[in-house]
Amino acid sequence: MISRVADHCFWMGRYLERVESTSRVLRVTSSLVLDAILPPEQVWTSALAVSGEEKPFAERHGAAAVGDGFRVTEFLTWDPDVPSSLARSLQAARENARSIREVVSLEAWEAINELHVWLNDGSGRREWAVRPDAFYRQVRTGTQLILGAVEHTMLHDNAFDFIMLGVFLERVGQTARILDVHHHALMQLPPDLVREETLWLSLLRACAGFEPFMKRKAGRVTPGEVATFLILEQRFPRSLVFCLQEADQRLASIRSPGDEAFPPLRCQARLAALATFLASRRVPDEDLHALLTRVVDETAAICGELHEELFQAPQRAWSNGRVERPRAEA
Amino acid sequence: MHRAVAEIASPPSMLSMYHPLPGAFDELLGAGERLRATVEAMLADGSSEEFARTQALAEAALLNQGVTFSVYSDSRGVEKIFPVCLLPRIISAVEWSRLERGLQQRVLALEAFVTDVYADQRILETGAIPREVVLGSAQYLPALRGIRPPAGVRIHVSGIDLIRDGAGVFRVLEDNLRTPSGVSYVLENRLLSKRLLARAFAAARVRPVNQYPARLAAALRSVSPVSPEETTLVVLTPGPYNSAYFEHSFLARQMGVELVEAADLFVDDDRLFVHTIRGPKRVHVVYRRTDDAFLDPEVFRPDSMLGVRGLLRAWARGNVALANAPGNGVADDKGVYPFVPEMIRFYLGEEPLLEQVPTYRCARAEDRAYVLEHLAELVVKVVDEAGGYGMLMGPTSTAEERAEFRRRILAEPRRYIAQPRVELSTCPTWVPQGQCIAPRRVDFRPYVLNSATGPWVLPGGLTRVALREGSYVVNSSQGGGSKDTWVLKGEG
Repeated sequence: MISRVADHCFWMGRYLERVESTSRVLRVTSSLVLDAILPPEQVWTSALAVSGEEKPFAERHGAAAVGDGFRVTEFLTWDPDVPSSLARSLQAARENARSIREVVSLEAWEAINELHVWLNDGSGRREWAVRPDAFYRQVRTGTQLILGAVEHTMLHDNAFDFIMLGVFLERVGQTARILDVHHHALMQLPPDLVREETLWLSLLRACAGFEPFMKRKAGRVTPGEVATFLILEQRFPRSLVFCLQEADQRLASIRSPGDEAFPPLRCQARLAALATFLASRRVPDEDLHALLTRVVDETAAICGELHEELFQAPQRAWSNGRVERPRAEA
Repeated sequence: MHRAVAEIASPPSMLSMYHPLPGAFDELLGAGERLRATVEAMLADGSSEEFARTQALAEAALLNQGVTFSVYSDSRGVEKIFPVCLLPRIISAVEWSRLERGLQQRVLALEAFVTDVYADQRILETGAIPREVVLGSAQYLPALRGIRPPAGVRIHVSGIDLIRDGAGVFRVLEDNLRTPSGVSYVLENRLLSKRLLARAFAAARVRPVNQYPARLAAALRSVSPVSPEETTLVVLTPGPYNSAYFEHSFLARQMGVELVEAADLFVDDDRLFVHTIRGPKRVHVVYRRTDDAFLDPEVFRPDSMLGVRGLLRAWARGNVALANAPGNGVADDKGVYPFVPEMIRFYLGEEPLLEQVPTYRCARAEDRAYVLEHLAELVVKVVDEAGGYGMLMGPTSTAEERAEFRRRILAEPRRYIAQPRVELSTCPTWVPQGQCIAPRRVDFRPYVLNSATGPWVLPGGLTRVALREGSYVVNSSQGGGSKDTWVLKGEG
């Protein structure tokens, strides 16, 4: 597989996951703010913090605007200068897909392109202004349709592995940040509010984890149970452990452990180590913020290794004159 | 009795209001009985409202599928759809078989010519073509002389532009032997016809075109330096911002091969490799959709970062096939075009089957004098420009434009040719502004694949249409659109 193509696949997966996650967070937050016990400033600050856009937002609109849901959602949805805005992320997903049109199946491409057209020809914008809830729902289902088409109409070859690797590594970061931001904010509340169930349930909803959690925990909603579930639940497809294990399997399918002709990858070793480390934690007793920060940082480092080892390294090593090439095929 | 009642009851056919242009051949009215009946049947049972809806569906489908070309004017690269008119251009089986033979003959002669020019230059010895016309062409690359490409093929893919004059005679307007584009629209337009005009399409009995990608892959593999089974074939694109990127990715996808950019490739020991996640992998055939100038900085542009250093050495050594071969531009140079009939006589010993457009070469004193005297009637073209740029359309030009061209022709006569303006044929075309059908001018680009086993012509092609009323310019960059071209199966 061509290195540049692998790179585009990976980023297409990452951006698609980011779009889905952002649409879910904004929808859940918009709903929570309607009847939350918390002041709107606090609710919207959390949404900005998950995207890492607290400071840029304050610089643009002033810190006082943080309670203005319209401003915040417009910023995180449409702003072309905000790298993590929904519109920018979808644009980037499509640009990556367009660069590898010969790899992405026609049905997956049509699904991406139709969402792109809807978001850019004015119809998406009108829906957003009138029925934001329906808008975020449509973005979410549109993204799910794309990933469904990817899974069910593409060859399950390395291109597919890289797309899913991107999806799961992005999801690790998303779940970790959503949990970190909300957990931190909720634990600052006065004791009688900390146990307020609606807040923890909306945290679960932001990770699509409400129903799975209820099934698993039979309705026992405590801060410790929620955190344990989002980090360690083996069967929940958005938990950190699940995502890391999936990512690990994708890498193993890209480079099978017994492959002599393909040197072992540092990113693979690092990913496996992170999954093992996390699985061994006793979550409710940990310093959650430290643990989640470590997961986010380590995941970013793994992505950096991927970039160097698979997407970029060959270019650097081979392009300047003759070099010995132990891995050359005939 | 019944018939009369039906006629009164149904709304007047859209075609009853159709008036062809005086002086131009009309593809519908000038056509045979069977063909006219096909189109009339297609339009008879539909109102213009219904047709407008079908037409809108076609455009929405293209937009949703991202069947677009990029427009450079904007830094972010705006994508536009290439407008399509669903009313097809139809070519009868008899007409087609004549065209097909003429195209094969022409491509064989052009192939022989390029081979000769980069080898012994026999045709120049005989004087059939003036030496300076060929060797003075900016498209002639002396550095390539003496190189024999893998399997000896150079014009793997060609698009020969044809127009039809006032008498209905097909004439070659120009040859495209470098990186002809547009075939993806032929295949996409056909999908629309089958989806949206299913009944009329079935009734017409049209020859299929969807075998093109498989034929292209086979032709490209046939010139590989290794066996077809061991061959790694790639499509080389300048990237997603190129205006024809959709087509590059389309062909790669349809052939099931990888689409690469120059930065993915490198040459080592005169062999070509692609960077993969598992390290370098050997490449044997490149269907390149980049211009000669951006192939190899070693040969063409020492200052350029574009291209693959050493690619031409690898090609010259026979280690990789490039399709089309570099240097083909010498044969589709507009200054060389007037001599193609001579090539056919010289290399094949045959008379040309296809007509051309009479051409005045400003390099010849006699021709130049005539051109300068008749600028207001002629179309003047720069020999090395494409896409409808750098032209003087005499009949619609201003006195200042003519004065400017007179100055340019006198300064560099070799760069200019002139032709009488041909009354391009017209085809019934949907006009959205008027919600009606009106005659619009068309040209036609059939595609020819050449391989070790000889030329093959795709039974179909790209019909481009000048959508603006009165326009002769069919280029997509200047208000042109396209139509599906239906080549009919023979009778029985």
